Amino acid sequence: MILADFDYERADSLEDAVALLGRMGGDARPLAGGTDLLPSMRMDNVRPGLLVSLTGIEPRPPEALQDGSIRIDALSRLANLENSDLLRSRVPMLAESAHVVGGNQIRQMGTLGGNLCQETRCLQLDQRHDYQFVAPCFKRGGECCYPYPRNGPDTCWSVYMSDIAPALIALDARIEILGEAGSRSVRAEEFFSGNGLKPVRLGHSELVRAVTVPPAPRGFGWGFHKSTVRGGLEFGMAVIAVALRLADDGKTCVEARIAIGAVREGPVRASAAERALAGAALDDERLASAAGEASKEINPLPHHGFTKRHLMDNIRVYLRRTLAKAVERVRSSGRAA
Amino acid sequence: MSELSYVGKSLRRKDGPDKVTGKAVYTQDVKLPNTLVGRILRSPHPHARILRIDTTRAKALPGVKAVITVEDTRGIRHGFVETPRYPPDQEVLARDKVVHVGEEIAAVAAVDHATAQAALALIEVDYESLPAVFDPEEAMKPGAPEIHPSHPKAPGNHSNIGGTTETEWGDVEKGFAESDYVREDRFECQLRTHGYLEPHVTLAHWESDKLNVWTSSMGVFVKRAKLAKVLDLPYSSVRIHKTYVGGTFGGKIDLYSHEYCASRLSMITGRPVQIVASREEIFSAYRHAQPLILEIKTGVKRDGTIVAQRIRAINNAGAYRGSGVVVIFLAWGFTMAPYRIPNLKYEGFSVYTNHTVRAPQRGHGAPKVRFAIESQLDMIAEAIGVDPITIRLRNARAPGEQLPNGDNTHRGGLIDCIALAAQKSDFLAKFGRDRKAPPKGSIRRGIGIGVSAYMGGTLIYPNGSAVIVKMNDDGSVVVLTGAIDIGQGSETVICQIVAEELGIGMDDIKVISSDTDTTPQDIGAWISGMTYVTGNAARQAAGNAREKLLQVASEKLGVPAENLVLKDKTVRHRLDPEVKMTYREVIAASVALHRGDTIIGEGFWRTMRDEPTHPSLATTKGRWTENYAFSAQVAEVEVDIETGEARLVKALTVHDCGFPINPALVKGQVDGQVSMALGHAFMEEVITKDGYTLNPNWLDYRMPTIHNMAISEDADVITEEYRVGQPYRTKEVGEGLISGILAAMGNAVYDATGVRLRATPFTAEKILNGLKAIEYEAKKARQGEAARV
Amino acid sequence: MLDVIRRGAAAKARTGSQLISLCVNGEWREVAVKPRHTLVEVIRDMIGLTGTKASCESGTCGACTVLIDGRPVLSCITLAIECDGKQIRTVEGLAEGGKLSAIQEAFLDQGAVQCGFCTPGMLMSATALLERNPKPDRHDINKALEGNLCRCTGYNSIVDAVLQASGQGVKPVTK
Repeated sequence: MILADFDYERADSLEDAVALLGRMGGDARPLAGGTDLLPSMRMDNVRPGLLVSLTGIEPRPPEALQDGSIRIDALSRLANLENSDLLRSRVPMLAESAHVVGGNQIRQMGTLGGNLCQETRCLQLDQRHDYQFVAPCFKRGGECCYPYPRNGPDTCWSVYMSDIAPALIALDARIEILGEAGSRSVRAEEFFSGNGLKPVRLGHSELVRAVTVPPAPRGFGWGFHKSTVRGGLEFGMAVIAVALRLADDGKTCVEARIAIGAVREGPVRASAAERALAGAALDDERLASAAGEASKEINPLPHHGFTKRHLMDNIRVYLRRTLAKAVERVRSSGRAA
Repeated sequence: MSELSYVGKSLRRKDGPDKVTGKAVYTQDVKLPNTLVGRILRSPHPHARILRIDTTRAKALPGVKAVITVEDTRGIRHGFVETPRYPPDQEVLARDKVVHVGEEIAAVAAVDHATAQAALALIEVDYESLPAVFDPEEAMKPGAPEIHPSHPKAPGNHSNIGGTTETEWGDVEKGFAESDYVREDRFECQLRTHGYLEPHVTLAHWESDKLNVWTSSMGVFVKRAKLAKVLDLPYSSVRIHKTYVGGTFGGKIDLYSHEYCASRLSMITGRPVQIVASREEIFSAYRHAQPLILEIKTGVKRDGTIVAQRIRAINNAGAYRGSGVVVIFLAWGFTMAPYRIPNLKYEGFSVYTNHTVRAPQRGHGAPKVRFAIESQLDMIAEAIGVDPITIRLRNARAPGEQLPNGDNTHRGGLIDCIALAAQKSDFLAKFGRDRKAPPKGSIRRGIGIGVSAYMGGTLIYPNGSAVIVKMNDDGSVVVLTGAIDIGQGSETVICQIVAEELGIGMDDIKVISSDTDTTPQDIGAWISGMTYVTGNAARQAAGNAREKLLQVASEKLGVPAENLVLKDKTVRHRLDPEVKMTYREVIAASVALHRGDTIIGEGFWRTMRDEPTHPSLATTKGRWTENYAFSAQVAEVEVDIETGEARLVKALTVHDCGFPINPALVKGQVDGQVSMALGHAFMEEVITKDGYTLNPNWLDYRMPTIHNMAISEDADVITEEYRVGQPYRTKEVGEGLISGILAAMGNAVYDATGVRLRATPFTAEKILNGLKAIEYEAKKARQGEAARV
Repeated sequence: MLDVIRRGAAAKARTGSQLISLCVNGEWREVAVKPRHTLVEVIRDMIGLTGTKASCESGTCGACTVLIDGRPVLSCITLAIECDGKQIRTVEGLAEGGKLSAIQEAFLDQGAVQCGFCTPGMLMSATALLERNPKPDRHDINKALEGNLCRCTGYNSIVDAVLQASGQGVKPVTK
């Protein structure tokens, strides 16, 4: 219930933070908003010896770059992103994905980088283990898996729930990472390992520094939907992010990017469905068929009381609707929504 | 009705200002110097023998002041009910074996939280796992692991039945034979939980031979009795102090082990000990609601009149008897109260399983029973071609009707409730609309109705309430009442009653409440009797003071008492307002002329004065309540038939609350129950597997948020009057209004989709599966047609 | 300020605690905290303001909501040490000179308080909303308060209280 003791240092800059993290080996953690880290520490699922606080580092507001891309500091609070005029006009899907995260207080505290680096979730994992599920599972460094007893130590089917990750993948964003060797940049989808044991490809002394979204191309339309039971506050049943590029005829799909979160160990692209859409005329039937294909292709993991069958049904319907919404956005605005 | 000044008005809560400024002191806000932190060691097994417990290393840890196991207790058992048939069955700490995950085995008191936590880890316990059973129907079978070999058994080879309720009247088989239509259905309700925002907290301080306790509860007198008993102390040595309470809903009546442990640890160390249950402990080790299985067979005449009904109820009681034996009794009560059932056979079983013990939750069985009966009634109505309103009006009990158990409905307003609900909601116009003419798009609307009855007070310890109205010599008043405000507004309501009876303003009355030393006994806030029982006690106490004021004033003024009225802290002549005395003057006169009588009004009340005790839980013999509250509730829902997602759009509650003392508080109760019902209907479930709780937190146990609330309207059918000086029969509104609306939602989902669900919650998956099944049947039928053609 | 930092460093070396300064409801307070102390513990136990409630201790119910520099945050998952030098407002700071704020009055007028345990957190979230958005619509209100659970009221009266406090035509229900 109370936290275990730890040391605390405030970093003056991201470089300073990286150095501090590097010095401690794997025993240090960065602290931004703390909305994922602190609950994990409360449950005693993680016991860092040192927290490196990023609180003193002021993020820049989202900015438009010369080439039309939008760059967003990873330390940006989600509330600032959902309310950012720049994002709402230029990258509305990103603003929308920030808008659906958690509850208001979580968005006021949580950051973009923190949202992407959140741990995967599993019912038997997300508890204190004082008298339930006491023996640690593979994810906690132990020797068993409670929901899937036949799984071996390299397999963890805990689910990655970030609402923003699918949006970034659909937008073909890049993620800028700062480490001891300097900066590197990866495409959003390469950031996620698809392995529940360690869902993001980030070294222990690396930090996400920024996210850059390319300018919306001609004929661009977007759609985003987070399925929940209650309409807010929750992690998703499924999170659907869609970006389409239509030809000038307003009907033929040039390119589709479909990313679905909260149903597997990382956000996944429905590549086969995307290929089926590319070059095709997007009528209702085509969208329905693609959505159906995608729901099978994604092969959702059952999680948090939702069965696989139901997640597939949910994805099939909402992906179709989200695709339709994306098409509508292209048509109603001409180019970027 | 005479002109009322305070009663019947939506006055602001007395405790409101304290609550909005943060001044309200809840149990965890009480701070005593040198307080130790207490923590509990809990069982990691659902069923296991304890071979050995060794607390030596824990005791030796610096900073640990005491460690207790069952060996350090008096070995006295407690139980929710304590009758000859159902003697107390639970010790405060496990002895020899553990029977559910999270069961309390030991407790420590230490100087801080970290030390207490470390001490728990140093307690060595060796277990031998035993076969466990989790499903009540499995637990009832011969050969199932026996959880309590020493308990008295029901006849037959059923090892885990902790109690039964059986009763019948008429001849059900004959009734079914004479019925024009009979159907049988099985209904199940999920495990759900209370979700009170304030966690369980207890602070205990043993000082100068007196145990002072602050604890979050639903009744300080029953808490004192149970705690004193297990501690083997006289009641006068145990004081339960007043604290504000942050929500209970039935989950804080039982005696909890941590309450004993905090007390005992304080008695050993001589220091205050505080134990706070974490939210995770509450979800995984504390007491949830009673999930019921109901098998119902009903026979009706062609016009829908009920002829016979046979009900079998199975309760998953958890690992101790708890209140399981009460809910199976209540399930009978909630079955037979609203409708006439000429022939009834009822059997209820409360079954032990290796789960946490179950507790009452708001409605205590009524929501599940009414969901089942009202769903089936709609199915019957459809089959025989009668609409849902007509069939209910046909069967609803009338005012003044005698019930088979000897109770009477008195001024029950059920028929008026049904009629008004139907009219206000335009029920018959909306019913079946989307099914007959499906609109474009995927949204379907449906409307449903559900009916319920609830009791307003019954007999269970301490059986009666007393109130003291103490006049201050300036004419203001202090009211002493043992009633506990759990959020329902008891202090405000009592104040309004006293204000009305004594003709003084609300600001001139202070309420001192729920302290077992300084306030008189009270039935507590868990049998829906506060307004009726304690309210009448308050009325009587204020009336007692009023009589004395009138008598003294009469003497001093030389005017007969019947010509005097009380108004604005004066006693004045009814016709000549100049002939008057202030209360201050009257009280001074009373002290002077009546040998120091400072004017203290005393009042007490008990429901069913002519009954010695509550009915038999096992046979239902005996009168249950003299105060039935009825309701009819209508739900309008929307379902997305592509996804199965359903939501409550609008709730209408028509209730006969008797007379609303404070309409705003009544509305608050209605809204709160609609919210709780829609949670039960669409989103809440405690998920367990092999006795473990998988979702012990508020992210994964989905309680309604602000997004989920529906439009909630209510109307009351006022059947009683309030008159100064006269006893009144206000009914209850705090518990009975979850059931009808829950049932209504089930019926509304059917109306919207044609999907009849017999198990709550109505998840999107269940609704979607139901829609798929309907589509499949339709397709088969079409193929069959095509093949024939 | 420098003196505080020096003393703080000395204290830290001794006990693992360091001195931080919090401006709580307009008053500067110095407290010795360990890194692991959450803001809710400091507010309730060290400073002694018990109006802010601890309910789930995991950031899932909103009962512990306080304002830091005007933002509503969950104090049970906020480290006190992160708040050094910040402006913190709790429910005790809403009334000015004994006069209740408009939202506090509105909660009483609308019957939006029952057991009262969620009330402090609700008031803080509502206060933050109204300071940023003086005329919120129902959707704005829902989004601002979705992180505050209430089990007693069913929320409708709370929404009405926010509408009343923001002068949007809702009349008091109680007197």
